[in-house]
Amino acid sequence: MKDKIFGVLQRVGRSFMLPIALLPVAGLLLGIGSSFTNQTMLETYNLTGIIYPGSVLYTVLDIMNQCGSAVFNNLALLFAMGVAIGMAKKEKEVAALSGAIAYLVMNTAISAMIHAAGGVEAMAANSTTSSLGITTLQMGVFGGIIVGLGVAALHNRFYKIRLPQVLSFFGGTRFVPIISTAVYLVVGVLMFYIWPVVQNGIALLGNLVVNSGYAGTWIYGIIERALIPFGLHHVFYMPFWQTALGGSAVIDGTVVQGAQNIFFAELASKNADVFSVSATRFMSGKFPFMIFGLPGAALAMYRCARPEKRKVVGGLLISAALTAMLTGITEPIEFTFLFVAPAMYVVHCIYAGLSYMLMHIFRVGVGMTFSGGMIDLTLFGILQGNAKTHWIWIVVVGAVYFFLYYFTFSLMIRKMNLKTPGREEDDEETKLFTRADFKAKTGVGPDSSSAPNVSDSVSVLILRGLGGKQNIADVDCCATRLRVTVIDGGKVSDTLLKQSGASGVIRKGNGIQVIYGPQVAVIKSNLVDFMETDGADLGEAEEVLQPESPKAAKSMQSIRLSAHMNGTLVPLAEVADEAFSSGALGGGAAIEPYEGKLFAPADGTVEAVFETGHALSMTTAEGAEILLHIGMDTIKLGGKFFYPHVENGQNVKQGDLLISFDLNEISAAGYPVTTPMVVCNSDEYTEISVLADGTVKVGEDILHVQS
Amino acid sequence: MKQFTYTVSDPLGIHARPAGLLAKEAKRFSSVCTITKEGQTKKLTQLMMLMSMGVKQGDTVTVAAEGEDEEAAIAALQSFFENHL
Repeated sequence: MKDKIFGVLQRVGRSFMLPIALLPVAGLLLGIGSSFTNQTMLETYNLTGIIYPGSVLYTVLDIMNQCGSAVFNNLALLFAMGVAIGMAKKEKEVAALSGAIAYLVMNTAISAMIHAAGGVEAMAANSTTSSLGITTLQMGVFGGIIVGLGVAALHNRFYKIRLPQVLSFFGGTRFVPIISTAVYLVVGVLMFYIWPVVQNGIALLGNLVVNSGYAGTWIYGIIERALIPFGLHHVFYMPFWQTALGGSAVIDGTVVQGAQNIFFAELASKNADVFSVSATRFMSGKFPFMIFGLPGAALAMYRCARPEKRKVVGGLLISAALTAMLTGITEPIEFTFLFVAPAMYVVHCIYAGLSYMLMHIFRVGVGMTFSGGMIDLTLFGILQGNAKTHWIWIVVVGAVYFFLYYFTFSLMIRKMNLKTPGREEDDEETKLFTRADFKAKTGVGPDSSSAPNVSDSVSVLILRGLGGKQNIADVDCCATRLRVTVIDGGKVSDTLLKQSGASGVIRKGNGIQVIYGPQVAVIKSNLVDFMETDGADLGEAEEVLQPESPKAAKSMQSIRLSAHMNGTLVPLAEVADEAFSSGALGGGAAIEPYEGKLFAPADGTVEAVFETGHALSMTTAEGAEILLHIGMDTIKLGGKFFYPHVENGQNVKQGDLLISFDLNEISAAGYPVTTPMVVCNSDEYTEISVLADGTVKVGEDILHVQS
Repeated sequence: MKQFTYTVSDPLGIHARPAGLLAKEAKRFSSVCTITKEGQTKKLTQLMMLMSMGVKQGDTVTVAAEGEDEEAAIAALQSFFENHL
């Protein structure tokens, strides 16, 4: 049960990634646009001569500013669609459309209810807002998430639904937007009653956090960091950043909720003199330990590595530290010590919490789009001016943090003899890191498209480490980790995954997270592409290892199967036995024979002649598994009237006689002789179509099995 | 992992028809469902393998399910065996 909850939360967390990935870009537009249209800023840097209202440059910047804001203002819709996409198992585009529709329907239903109740004036103060021009309840991204999760659940349940013949046009994926509309109409009405209660609850909780002061900020920081190893931090901080939990403010006459929304509304506003620290306290704390602290930790690990290992370890640590400094993506560096020295991670969490608290105390008002790297510090701290943001304190505290991390970590590593990179007793682990490092540089970097073979070899390692293609139920990724749901967690090999360049592996039952760092998106795409190629079909380790081996090169090609009897073609759906007509045994076609002879429909190998001689299974040279079943229920004849001509394991050619049988006796015994030919592994093909009808002759193609 | 042991009472054993229905049943679940006879284990979803095991009346097989919905899967499979085999 615990594993299941983790699995679901993990998927929710990663489904946030699509909309979140947009934020840095939107933030860039908003950051640059708003900085250079802010009067105070222009005066400070003496730019009023070039940039003034009405000038071309000002207009361009204002467009950037407003377009960036558009993203932040409509995040709920983006989450409704993004979460639906992330949580839908298949046919994701339909889930996206349904998410958008459901979001509009829900808000419109709420709007109508508000109108019926007497309009906005009748509602509690600050409880309503305007979303996409619809007057609705202030639900923040929660509204979007409620829609996204619900629509995905509806989608996963109904996207394959079959409706009665007359309504069949509305079946399958087309049913999903329809049911979503109906359900969210009701949800909207219910929300009108439920949400105000939730709003009160959130407001109370938010007040509690806001009023808990510095200690509250510290605890927030600790929890946020402590959740990183589980990948659940997004689920934790998002409500603070995006909903009333992180506070509310009135900016330029509009109610804004959520720490990040407040910051960006103030950024876009030309009237804000100083950024609200009550909002940025949930963000600014990241800067000191990400830009300064963690590089200090990296230096400590480098200095503590054995001298002969430093060169090797250095490459790993420098790239990880730079990633943290520039982008604020900290997992690569954090995971180098999380697994080998959990005690260091505990200290890291406490320091990180302290960093949030110090920023709160020093009234630092620097927000961020995604995380606390140099890019965000520059845009939202330095460029906004120290008067508005007090960013200088980040540097002051950061300088202290660099040494704090460096000395604490050095001390811990030496005193406790922690096995950070380059300090291992035997050589094995560092070799893994070397290889990982090498691969990360050559194979899976952003330019990996030019080296497909290397990226394939990484994919092979990952696939093997995850227990083969057959073991993988679902693959996705967030900012830094590959998130996989496997069928059998026991088949996952940490060693192989680390060889593929991973800095760590987290497992919770069947939910596996493999940490690679920011290049994970490329790794995931390569892996998914690779899984779709022929070589990946065989999940067994040895076979995947040698893609040049003939067996691994086997692929599911399209093939044609010829008639297995002389007779009249019968569509499979019209066969009297439900096991065949329902398609349970696979797709195919049946023949009502004129004579008592069964022939091979293709070249292949006889897998099994049933003891009673009434059926035979064979595998074609191309890998299609075919079952030929003479008559219905004929197993009950116990072998009477059937005369097999082939044995198990025998190779046969198309048109070879397989079994002869006494047509008249079988009919006389009361059994139909309709003989289905089905492709048992139909799942591995996209479509099986019937090419003939009426009278067919042995040798004539009757089925097209398409890969 | 959940499992149960069953002695096949159907006089015809697991031939093509019940094998197909059994595979269809097993495919409804995300759990990996397997059948073991005399130390030989096959996935229930691999129809050819299942049929080639040639399970007959009186044979004792162990059916197992492992995965997120293993409880539901094993319950469905157990009732399938009891009703059809």
